[in-house]
Amino acid sequence: MRLSDRTTGLFLVGLGALAAYGGSRLPPVPGQQIGPNVFPLVIGSGLAICGLMIAFGVGHKFEEEAEADLAAIGGAKDAAPERGFFYNLRVLVPPALLLFYVFAVDRIGFIPTAAIIAFTAAVMLGARLKLAVPVAVLAPVGVHLVFSKLLRVPLPDGYLPMPW
Amino acid sequence: MGTFVEAIRLVIAPDVLIAILASSIYGLIVGSLPGLSATMATALLVPVTFYLSPIAAIATIVSASAMAIFSGDIPGALLRIPGTPASAAYTDEAYAMTRKGQAELALGAGVWFSAVGGIAGTISLILLAPPLAEMALGFSTFEYFWLAFLGLMCATMVARSSPVKAIAGMLLGLLIACIGIENPGGVPRFTFGSTDLLGGIEPIPALVGVFAVSEVMRAMLTAEPPPLPRRKFGSILAGQWQLTKKYPWPLMRGNIVGIIIGVLPGAGADMAAWVSYAMSKRFSKEPEKFGTGHVEGLVEAGASNNASLASGWVPSLLFGIPGDTITAIAIGVLYMKGLNPGPTLFTEKASSMYAIYIMFIVANIIMIPLGVLMIRAASYVLRAPRASVMPVIVLCCCVGAFATGNNLFAVVTVAAFGVLGYVMEANGYPVAAMVLGIVMGTMVEQAFVTSLIKSDGSLLPFFERPVSAVLASLTIAALAWPVLVWLRRWFTRKAALT
Repeated sequence: MRLSDRTTGLFLVGLGALAAYGGSRLPPVPGQQIGPNVFPLVIGSGLAICGLMIAFGVGHKFEEEAEADLAAIGGAKDAAPERGFFYNLRVLVPPALLLFYVFAVDRIGFIPTAAIIAFTAAVMLGARLKLAVPVAVLAPVGVHLVFSKLLRVPLPDGYLPMPW
Repeated sequence: MGTFVEAIRLVIAPDVLIAILASSIYGLIVGSLPGLSATMATALLVPVTFYLSPIAAIATIVSASAMAIFSGDIPGALLRIPGTPASAAYTDEAYAMTRKGQAELALGAGVWFSAVGGIAGTISLILLAPPLAEMALGFSTFEYFWLAFLGLMCATMVARSSPVKAIAGMLLGLLIACIGIENPGGVPRFTFGSTDLLGGIEPIPALVGVFAVSEVMRAMLTAEPPPLPRRKFGSILAGQWQLTKKYPWPLMRGNIVGIIIGVLPGAGADMAAWVSYAMSKRFSKEPEKFGTGHVEGLVEAGASNNASLASGWVPSLLFGIPGDTITAIAIGVLYMKGLNPGPTLFTEKASSMYAIYIMFIVANIIMIPLGVLMIRAASYVLRAPRASVMPVIVLCCCVGAFATGNNLFAVVTVAAFGVLGYVMEANGYPVAAMVLGIVMGTMVEQAFVTSLIKSDGSLLPFFERPVSAVLASLTIAALAWPVLVWLRRWFTRKAALT
């Protein structure tokens, strides 16, 4: 998701201004002039100034140099071929899976949730069923064994409690 | 002497030895997989350290990070894909050696000089820490403020990107650290009425999100790296001693540069490797051979990145200011285990300090046999398809984040920071600067506000004490540096036009 420097810079200006404004409205410590309001004010103003500079392209030269250095290594980073909008949306799969975990783990239990997550992630990364199914079966059990049995993290049993 | 014996006793406890061995193997494997960095290996280890004794917890971090930095060289040399960013500087050189049929020499140099560099870094830690601790005992909040600020500025100066964007990233991190009620007034700040945000954003879920989830997100769009052809290796350590004797100066220079960069707050192994490789080329007697498979740069940069790893612990242990992203994680673990960073650590917990030194040396010594084994096993490990590794990482992110506080909100934090890290990286904003901002935010604010209250709102006392005046001028120089470079360029361009 490559945005223009103008977009990200102006976003930072807005964020900085909001932070400075929000910070300035916080109540001070009784009997002091300085309180929780000072730091957000300073940081927010700084962020807004940086945002403006970025929007005007200050410091862009340095970035080009660093990119040229990396490009010189070649194989270090392959440029992804341009593909459709929907193909690019798969970037959002990992965070979506994490949110799915939050939503599902207390309802259906750790093992089923983890199996769905592992299966989806594997398939999205281009695995065939021959690989995705074993990953979906073994990975949750392995993770459960390490975290629940050895490290005693309370993972919900749900529909599929483990024997240990 | 008594404390030293006590330290040895702490290290040879069975749980510590098992922790060192297990985390070494873990570090070697994770570091060797392309895209999985040493920082990520360490971040995913943190939930595990909750359940270990303090010394074992630190042992896992020390050994996993040291191994991961070395083993990033393996896919670099064999596939021309650096396993960790710290290996990126000399990947081309190492791969050129493999093509010339010198894979053993390249990988052997990786493991041998990593270990040498790691031990040199440890020696610097042993020598530098006590006198600095003595000095730090006299520091007030003014010095701590400048020190923390200087650390943040260093992080932005060495970022391989636009310094303005790096500063913006760092400020964003500081802003994120503002969230919660842990502020001078104890009032809810930027919590938007959410009870989950009252406690603030925990650094560990944020780190896991930025370094692990965003990596999985990138993997969704990039092509799978090619499989490694099977090959038989000859002797891996043969010829390393001759190399040590042939290149004493590059080795020395690599160690020293690595140590200096490590001690600088915020700059870590990646930077050390880039600087050392460039220096090696600059000062070499045969600079024309660089890029064609010449081992000299590998010697210098390989030693440098591991040396920086150990010396990065100096500011972390003394001031609580991380030397790099790995020690940023380690500081969290130190606090959790009651080993609060600060100069008094040396007087009150001297045996734990010695134990940390010993663990560094042990980790760097066992790196040699384990590293050789890993190189031989590399063709099997690197065959693991990405679609089988990444799902496990996603699961570890979920469970690991949950384990930091038995709280599902941490998993939401991980997801949010994964997206943030991905967007920042894609647009040239260095995430390491933001991470350091998050880790150091509370400390910077506390030092800043306490100093302001002491000085009754005046800025003058910030510059009055001798040490704080020196630190202040360094910080201002760091702040002014990009402006000066930019102005000079602007003038030269203008002169060229007229």
